[in-house]
Amino acid sequence: MDAIFAPYPFLRKSTMDDIKNTLKQQIIDALNLQGMKPEEIDDNAPLFGEGLGLDSIDSLELMVLLERNYGIKIEDAREGRKVLNSVQSMADYIQEHSAKNRA
Amino acid sequence: MLQTSDRIVVSSMGLISALGTGIAAHTAAFEQRKSGLRHPQHLKTLHASEFLVGEVALSDVAMMQQLGIPSTKKGYSRTSLISMCAIADMLQTTDLAWLQNLPKLGYINANTVGGMSIVENLYMEMITDRIDEETDKWIDTLDCAESTEHVARFFGLNPAMATISTACSSSANSIIVGARMLQHGLVDAVIVGGGDALSRYTLNGFSALKNVDKTPCKSFDQNRNGLNLGEGAGYLLLEKESSAKARGANILAILSGFSNHNDTYHPTAPSPDGSGALRTMAGALERAKLPAQAIHYINAHGTATLNNDHSEGLAIQNLWQGVPPPFSSTKAFTGHTLAAAGAVEAICSIAAMQANTVPPNLNWETPMEELSIRPCTQSEKVDINHVMSNSFGFGGSNVTLIFSRA
Amino acid sequence: MRQPLYIKSAVAISAQESFEREKFLQPLLTSGTGKLFAQDAPYAQYISPVAIRRMSRQMKMTISCAMEALVRAGVATPDAIITGTGRGGVTDMEHFVKDMILLNEGAMNPTAFIQSTYNSASGWIAMQAKCTGYNQTYVHRGCSFELAVQDAQMLAGESELPINLLVGCFDELTEDYYHIRQKRGYWKIPAISSESLYQHEDVAGTIAGEGASFFVLSNQPEEQQNCLRQLKIIYQANAEKITQAIMEVAIEEAIGLDAIDLILLGDNGDPRQQHLYAHLDILFPKTRMERFKHLCGEFDTATGFGTWYADWILHQKQADGKQPKNLLLINHYILGSATVMFITAPETT
Repeated sequence: MDAIFAPYPFLRKSTMDDIKNTLKQQIIDALNLQGMKPEEIDDNAPLFGEGLGLDSIDSLELMVLLERNYGIKIEDAREGRKVLNSVQSMADYIQEHSAKNRA
Repeated sequence: MLQTSDRIVVSSMGLISALGTGIAAHTAAFEQRKSGLRHPQHLKTLHASEFLVGEVALSDVAMMQQLGIPSTKKGYSRTSLISMCAIADMLQTTDLAWLQNLPKLGYINANTVGGMSIVENLYMEMITDRIDEETDKWIDTLDCAESTEHVARFFGLNPAMATISTACSSSANSIIVGARMLQHGLVDAVIVGGGDALSRYTLNGFSALKNVDKTPCKSFDQNRNGLNLGEGAGYLLLEKESSAKARGANILAILSGFSNHNDTYHPTAPSPDGSGALRTMAGALERAKLPAQAIHYINAHGTATLNNDHSEGLAIQNLWQGVPPPFSSTKAFTGHTLAAAGAVEAICSIAAMQANTVPPNLNWETPMEELSIRPCTQSEKVDINHVMSNSFGFGGSNVTLIFSRA
Repeated sequence: MRQPLYIKSAVAISAQESFEREKFLQPLLTSGTGKLFAQDAPYAQYISPVAIRRMSRQMKMTISCAMEALVRAGVATPDAIITGTGRGGVTDMEHFVKDMILLNEGAMNPTAFIQSTYNSASGWIAMQAKCTGYNQTYVHRGCSFELAVQDAQMLAGESELPINLLVGCFDELTEDYYHIRQKRGYWKIPAISSESLYQHEDVAGTIAGEGASFFVLSNQPEEQQNCLRQLKIIYQANAEKITQAIMEVAIEEAIGLDAIDLILLGDNGDPRQQHLYAHLDILFPKTRMERFKHLCGEFDTATGFGTWYADWILHQKQADGKQPKNLLLINHYILGSATVMFITAPETT
């Protein structure tokens, strides 16, 4: 993935930022985080436990979000935990997955 | 007036599940280790090839035939039919005329989604403006009580009724409520239990919770990966010991203890240290005035979800200080029959006591890391005088029942 | 069943301003749509921000109502929680079943499924009030609340020690629900204004309602508490059975019918059900009678609102100085059941 964007670092960045911003808004909508704005969610802050204070039902809702919006189905709970760690890890996974789909 | 010295007894019982109709079908399946799980044939779901379920083998039409209902008659939801089959089974050893003429009969039923198995196919039609008699006659099955009232009418009964819905502990709760109504003199005899039909609604719901195993469930196994859903119904006739004796009824078991506690931990997950399950089991022992050692078999809730078996396993291990009596989950035989589970498993527990035989816990291979105890994996002969049956539901609804030899 | 339950607190969320008792009927709130939706309470005061964002209006109503009942009774943790509901989490049920159909059994929201479970509210209240005691949920149409009260009566009779029982009910009105039941002929069409409910008794049907009511009930009397003494649940109700239940109450309480000084009727304005109430004028020729469904609308657990209203009236200072002491609440529900409740004011007032 990175290799494709290597000559165009600005492109790589904007694509990733777009994904993350869209994703943040989707998270806010899906989990009904009323009054929260995308820019208030830190890319790397853990979504669960401290961070946003989400719980296990939210993690299931986030899996629904990934499936409905990105066609990504996570079957393994352990993998789910890794993917849903932060906005960054989710965005990475989305990008990886869409690259895989294109390949 | 509250009266507790006269014991509450079970004088007849009937059930239906993926294993068939009646107690003999269930004990035979336990003995032959023959699970009732299969890919659904009656439930029309897109996920049919994906999931194994404990489906009642009979179609709606076949059940209607067995019950003597003309096939032209409409309006019988699968939930009602399954319940009717279980009660019809119970009535083989009960005097129906006596029930019909009892001045104070009770019928405490339980289900989780009423007639959803039919409503889910008609809902979009129901919310249109179109008046369609074929569709609209099912409107009342949207609620849970429709099945209760329909079943009572079908058997010509005019009882005091209640419908309970506390998820997977529903029919265990109807047993408790019925028993207490007897003690308070609100009823002279009471049919207690519950029934649930498979629906796409519940299958997709549990699937959304990511706790459905696509292979046969492995209760209390380290590599368990969720439950299999099932359908069925179980009903018991409860009355006071004095009443059963006076009419010369066969007493199958004594309901010697029961307990209902809330877990107060999470909407769907049990307390990870097992404290909720432990409190409930201890409560039932206390009411039965029995020491833990008196229990000779535990029919565990044992859904094979990661959370339940962890929590329930720890509770059993702690309550019996590492040396519990034989315990097993029969969910790998019947699937998780939800609202029916409490009654179906209570009946299987009583049957186990009558036959002095512990039903095996199927598909168990690897001990759970956090447990030193193991379920009973072989059909085992032991003297059973007291059995315990656990039912733990969403919303932290924990119920334990104890039955004793008559 | 005869077993006194002392009303330590009563809270209702209804189409009227009932959550704050002082504002009740100041003024009368009405609706001309045939639907009486409940007045929202300050839900955020009772439910944490993390939890509230996932909840349907029904969950918010139910939990807020229950928690406020505990606050007003001065009870942090009750000994048991018993709820009744005819429809449960109907919004969540509708959401889930429609998604399932439209998405072809695709990726579904687990939250809607969990909260459509009938006991999710009682489980949540238990969690929030840290009540590890008895927890039960009845879902039997028009007697769901009644069965919860009956269970509370049983618990009260089973305990030699003083106990506090949180008993309540909830039902939510949705557009789908209204529409579907319209096909069953439940509602007056065209819709009438709610305050004129009893002026259209020539037109079949009633008006739809919703709400939540919670009570902390105890087996231990304290001063200035009204008491729910008797509850009779009648299946396949008719006038004769209702009369019989009233007579039983009078006999068991050793009072004459003339000792009843106020009757609250659950008459919902539907001429098809008038026969359940018509004979009461003969039984009680001189007794003051009031109806309440123009205030809350018709729903499975409207008796909960009726009970709250009874408690409210018995606490009110009457302008004419005729303070009612013995109240009968008589209700019925469309699908056939009826209720007779006997509620009394404390001796000292």
